[in-house]
Amino acid sequence: MKFRYAMVCSSNQNRSMEAHSLLKKQGFDVSSYGTGAHVKLPGPSLREPNVYEFGTPYKHMFDDLRRKDPELYKRNGILPMLKRNLSVKLAPQRWQDNAADGCFDIVFTFEEKVFDMVLEDLHNRDQVLLKSVLVINLEVKDNHEEAAIGARIALDLCEQIEAVESWEDSIDDIMVSFENKHRRKLLYSISFY
Amino acid sequence: MVGIMNPVSREKLESLSSSVKFAIDLGSKLELCRQLKHDLLEEDAADLSEFLPRIFDLYSDPSGPVRKFATEIIGEIGVKHLEFVPEIAPFLITVLEDATPAVARQSIACSIDLFRHTLEQIAIRGLYSSELDSDLESSWSWMLKLKEKIYSIAFQPGSGGIRLVALKFVEAVILLYTPNPNGSLEPPPNEGTSIEFNITWLRGGHPLLNVGDLSIEASQRLVLLLDQLRFPTVKSLTTSVIVVIINSLSAIAKKRPAYYGRILPVLLSLDPPSFVIKGVHVYGAHHALKNALLSCLKCTHPSAAPWRERILGALKEMKAGGLADLALNQVHKINGSVEEEKDDSLLIKEEKPLTKAYDAAGSNVGRKRSGTEGSSDLAEKDEVSGKRVKATPSVSEESTKELNRNITVSQGDISSTQSSTRKVDVDTGPVQQLVGMFGALVAQGEKAVGSLGILISNISADLLAEVVMANMCNLPPTHPHTDTDDELLEDMCIVGSDTQAKYPPSFLADVISLSSTFPPIASMLNSQQSVPNKIVKTEGEEEVDVVADPNSALAYAGMAHEDENALLATDLPVSSNIVLPGMKIDPPTPSDIHDTGNLESGIPGLDSSFRNDGLSDTQAASSLVSTDIEDASQEQATSFGGKSPLHVRPSISIDRSEELSPKAAVTDSSSMVSSTATSVVSSCPFVLPKMSAPVVNLSEDQKDDVQKLAFVRIVEAYKQIAVAGGSQVRSSLLAYLGVELPSELELQKVLREHILSDYINHEGHELTLRVLYRLFGKAEDESDFLSCTTAASAYETFLLAVAETLRDSFPPSDKSLSKLLGEAPRLPKSVLNLLGCLCSPGISEKAEESQSGDRVTQGLSTVWSLILLRPPIRDVCLKIALQSAVHHLEEVRMKAIRLVANKLYPLQSIAQQIEEFAREMLLSVVNVDATERTGAEGLISESHKDSDLEKSSNEHQSMSSISKDISADVHQSETSHSGSSPSVPEAQRCMSLYFALCTKKHSLFGQIFIIYGSASKEVKQAIHRHIPILVRTMGLSSDLLEIISDPPSGSENLLMQVLQTLTEGTVPSAELIFTIKKLFDSKLKDVEILVPVLPFLPGDEVLLLFPHLVNLPLDKFQAVLTRLLQGSAHSGPVLTPAEVLIAIHGIVPERDGIPLKKVTDACNACFEQRHIFTQQVLAKVERIPLPLLFMRTVLQAIGAFPALVEFIMEILSRLVSKQIWQNPKLWVGFLKCALLTKPQSFSVLLQLPPPQLENALNRTAALKAPLVAHASQQNIRNSLPRSMLAVLGLAPDTQSSSQAQTSQAHTGDTSNSEKDAAVTEKSKESSSAI
Repeated sequence: MKFRYAMVCSSNQNRSMEAHSLLKKQGFDVSSYGTGAHVKLPGPSLREPNVYEFGTPYKHMFDDLRRKDPELYKRNGILPMLKRNLSVKLAPQRWQDNAADGCFDIVFTFEEKVFDMVLEDLHNRDQVLLKSVLVINLEVKDNHEEAAIGARIALDLCEQIEAVESWEDSIDDIMVSFENKHRRKLLYSISFY
Repeated sequence: MVGIMNPVSREKLESLSSSVKFAIDLGSKLELCRQLKHDLLEEDAADLSEFLPRIFDLYSDPSGPVRKFATEIIGEIGVKHLEFVPEIAPFLITVLEDATPAVARQSIACSIDLFRHTLEQIAIRGLYSSELDSDLESSWSWMLKLKEKIYSIAFQPGSGGIRLVALKFVEAVILLYTPNPNGSLEPPPNEGTSIEFNITWLRGGHPLLNVGDLSIEASQRLVLLLDQLRFPTVKSLTTSVIVVIINSLSAIAKKRPAYYGRILPVLLSLDPPSFVIKGVHVYGAHHALKNALLSCLKCTHPSAAPWRERILGALKEMKAGGLADLALNQVHKINGSVEEEKDDSLLIKEEKPLTKAYDAAGSNVGRKRSGTEGSSDLAEKDEVSGKRVKATPSVSEESTKELNRNITVSQGDISSTQSSTRKVDVDTGPVQQLVGMFGALVAQGEKAVGSLGILISNISADLLAEVVMANMCNLPPTHPHTDTDDELLEDMCIVGSDTQAKYPPSFLADVISLSSTFPPIASMLNSQQSVPNKIVKTEGEEEVDVVADPNSALAYAGMAHEDENALLATDLPVSSNIVLPGMKIDPPTPSDIHDTGNLESGIPGLDSSFRNDGLSDTQAASSLVSTDIEDASQEQATSFGGKSPLHVRPSISIDRSEELSPKAAVTDSSSMVSSTATSVVSSCPFVLPKMSAPVVNLSEDQKDDVQKLAFVRIVEAYKQIAVAGGSQVRSSLLAYLGVELPSELELQKVLREHILSDYINHEGHELTLRVLYRLFGKAEDESDFLSCTTAASAYETFLLAVAETLRDSFPPSDKSLSKLLGEAPRLPKSVLNLLGCLCSPGISEKAEESQSGDRVTQGLSTVWSLILLRPPIRDVCLKIALQSAVHHLEEVRMKAIRLVANKLYPLQSIAQQIEEFAREMLLSVVNVDATERTGAEGLISESHKDSDLEKSSNEHQSMSSISKDISADVHQSETSHSGSSPSVPEAQRCMSLYFALCTKKHSLFGQIFIIYGSASKEVKQAIHRHIPILVRTMGLSSDLLEIISDPPSGSENLLMQVLQTLTEGTVPSAELIFTIKKLFDSKLKDVEILVPVLPFLPGDEVLLLFPHLVNLPLDKFQAVLTRLLQGSAHSGPVLTPAEVLIAIHGIVPERDGIPLKKVTDACNACFEQRHIFTQQVLAKVERIPLPLLFMRTVLQAIGAFPALVEFIMEILSRLVSKQIWQNPKLWVGFLKCALLTKPQSFSVLLQLPPPQLENALNRTAALKAPLVAHASQQNIRNSLPRSMLAVLGLAPDTQSSSQAQTSQAHTGDTSNSEKDAAVTEKSKESSSAI
């Protein structure tokens, strides 16, 4: 695997972790992040979400929610999701604080808002290395089912990108063929480290 | 500096570099490189100069990654030791041509670093001396060459991926060559501190660099960049190049505002539709442009200001519908809010005005209370101060930073709100228009009632509900006063207010008829009148006057304040109006007082929540307005042109600050109004001490309580609505309220209780559906995880609770549950589980009530309708039905089987799945069995199963998995309780469904034949139990015939039963008989299968078969006998008894291979039926040649019919004449018979020739004495010849010894043969016994 990948969504729980988990299984060099201010998980009602700081271990959230209302969180799929997540990595990470993690070659986002935030963040960094990074947005609705589908599509795309020598030369072709294949609109941008 | 290289390290480096060269695999090479790089960077320049060529050497490596690494190392050495630049730069130039793009890109990446450092060093050196050493000069000239080379790559069409980096290089150089307005103006006092280089450090007289020249070059390059985006060049670019250029340009514009005016025209003229470049992918470029424009919009530099309008216009166009505007408004609005609020923005922005209002109110009110001194508190103020700061040329760094912070906050929100605002835009658009229309119509008074009716009847209830909610904020705050007027009116008024909002004409009628108070209408009309005004204002934003107008707060604060004003204006008269009629109509009574006491707790809450709504809306609206004003001011600024925008600005900002204060005053006073409203309730409606009451800030919990109370009241009011009718529309509203209010869970509970308290009368079904659809819409609509998961969860809870109550409280015959499940937008798993429990009682529930049977029917019919109505969940429902069809309770099972076989199986789409499942279950019975007994059999059926599965797996993969699921379940359950092979009931449980299907599709029956052979005894028993009913239902079909014609081995018993059932009571068809005969002839030699059809075969055929029949076990032969003799009802007996007897006697054991014993048994069987096998019958058997068993038959006949003796004697004497002794076996029998029938037989014996008589007497000694005695009688003795007497010893005869001798010899023979016969008989017997 020659490229380093990052999967980014807002809370680093559902979509990015689904993709992270899948790509990791396939042997990709992958990380995942969220761009939100906090990690928010659904609570008993819309007004009572469970809010955690980035860096709070998934295990902690899992235990916390299981203590609060195992029925509810099992039914709405949060506990299974956290369980999956804690098998992938320790805790959710925030994109904006990831400078120490080095350069990524490909960044996947799953929502336009996140895409914009990643780009903005990259533009705000000192772009001195002149190392290009491809940021791709694949719009995925934020629920469990769609996340699973989105992760598979992302994997497919990653495999296609891996297959070429340098994405800089062939990204347009990859995108076109991908869009034709999956009938999904992609958005991409190129930024630099 | 002369350094002595450390020999060790030198050696080490050398060995490292050579091992890099000779390392075999890529991984170790790279690892060595990494080490080398680490070590090299430790070295000082002198050492490196010797070593450099060696590293250049590394570049000759064939593998790309190594070359890239080598380039990287060299680049870093260059940065660290600039004196090497003259050597390194040419190297980098060659690397640019590298065939591997990644290596070439690395070269550019190294170049920019090197370039920056060189430039910086030259600049700083030049500051302190007018001469630079030649080394530096040559370094610089090399760098320039390198730069030119990269430029050529950047602007040369079609140079692929490397071009992207080259373009970035151009951007970097442009930034380096131009002054950074935000950078430090002075170089760092001491070298080495890390301040970003700024070209402004250069002063005149620098030996090499000239600021002017540099900036000329920069702008030339910029022009080149811009040219790329101009038509037609842009057409030839790839999207990635366009994206990079756009990003670079926007970065330049942002960092170097001086260029703003040059970059923006190009960006703006980039026409999105022309982005169909080479017919591919335009979104990326489109989006990049949008982002670029948005980021340019954020630029606060004065030179950016004139472009704002155009950027806004372009953004508007790009997003097709003014979204940019909205987004921007949001930006401004949120700009002021504190950062934490960002997260709430999603909540706020949902398309529910009330929620939004409420939330906003929460924070806004709080903010207002906390005072306005914080600079970030109010959007306008912030904006203004920022602008002012910008405008002043002496920018203090701090304030800019602060400003930037604010702006970034707001920008972060732009994007975050985009998705939601889009929705808001779409949804509130028509709603707001409708509100306007209603307002306009209502304003016309009663003459518009008709058109209002038409309007209302033409929009959906849901939309109407939204209109009502959107209009809520326009209600006069005094309205609740009416509630307090009198207790009787209270509910009416609530009813009225609901109706009024959505149903103005009926409201008019209602109110007039109910209370005959006109003033409320007046107040309503007043408030409504303000609506059209408002609409006009919003639409004509441009019309909002920016010029300071002291006339009223209106002009400043915009329509929201106008609204407030209207409220204030109407407030007094309205309340007094209301109070008066209230007084007139209803003088206070004791109960009234009591109720007002109660109301004190309820109504203040109501009031304040209304107030909050109003307030927040004011807030939202005013911020909108303020941005409008800002836009307008912008416009003004632009209209002033280049003159002096700076001049205009301060004046505006003054205006704004004025704006703030009256607005604050207004809101304050209005909230006072609200608080007075609440206080009025408790004290006296007449007194309106507006200015004195304090505003109470409610805690979140209190707000929730208040909201809940209000909702409970509304719900209570709805109970009365039912009588008034029109609840169709109203339920929409109630659902809306219940779902959209923030404390949704509580309210949903209240709503649920309301629905369930009287499901039928409260239009429970409609209301539930509306709530469900709302929740479902939320779950589907929301893109963010939080809200969609929460809504989905709320949906599930609601539906499940209603469904459970319907199940528990309604009789099974009620269709409500079925209807609800049929129409609910989605059925979550838990609800399907509930259905599953209904259909298969006992799965998870403890005790079932007595009517469980009916419940099962209810569940099954629900499942059926779901299968018909909801194709997407067909599989799951089918699974429920199938599960029920293998239920352990027979009652349940039969119901489910009826459903599956009769209703579901005929459905083409699922027939295959049902079949699959049934087969699965059928095989499970055998397989459990088989695996326990013999592996081989199991394998066979397994492989059969596989092939079956394969057949259908393609189309019905899902189903087969389902059936596997279930069967796996079943397996578990059954293995848990039975352990080994299934019991008969268990087998029936699993097989019943399959049997039921067989009646629908006869070809399935074959499978039963296949498994029969390997089935256990219990299973066989279960099958046999089913067969008669099954086969009778099926009748004889071609499928069945086919199965019969080729039954698998091992299924004979089953076949027999089938045939028996088929022939029972009816005449089998010719085909059947033919098939059976053919089967008998070809494959199955067992005559048994012919038994059922024997009565229908022609007699001669039966006679041919007779030996086989005789060979059957005795009991079966008896059955055959009966059949043959009775025959069928139509054709009469096939054979007569005599024919039967003759046939039996016609059997020759040796020839036919039938044991003699069998034949005798057959005879016995015949004689057991004495009334059939009569004397006459027996008589017919005597013929020539004598049948082997004839004597035996005779003997039996004597036993059976002692009266036959005379007749037997006749026979015996005839036998004598037939020389019976010729046949040794019969002879023995004859003698036995004679012995048995003595003394009657004596006369026959005496008819024997003397030698035979002698023989006979010798053999049967017991005969001799009585016979002699008999012959001694005188009359007999006289009639006997002498020779005879001699044999009897009655006459002394010399010849007697010789006679005796011969007869001895003779009898010796016969005895021998007799012995033989006995032996063979015995052996045959034993063999047959075996």
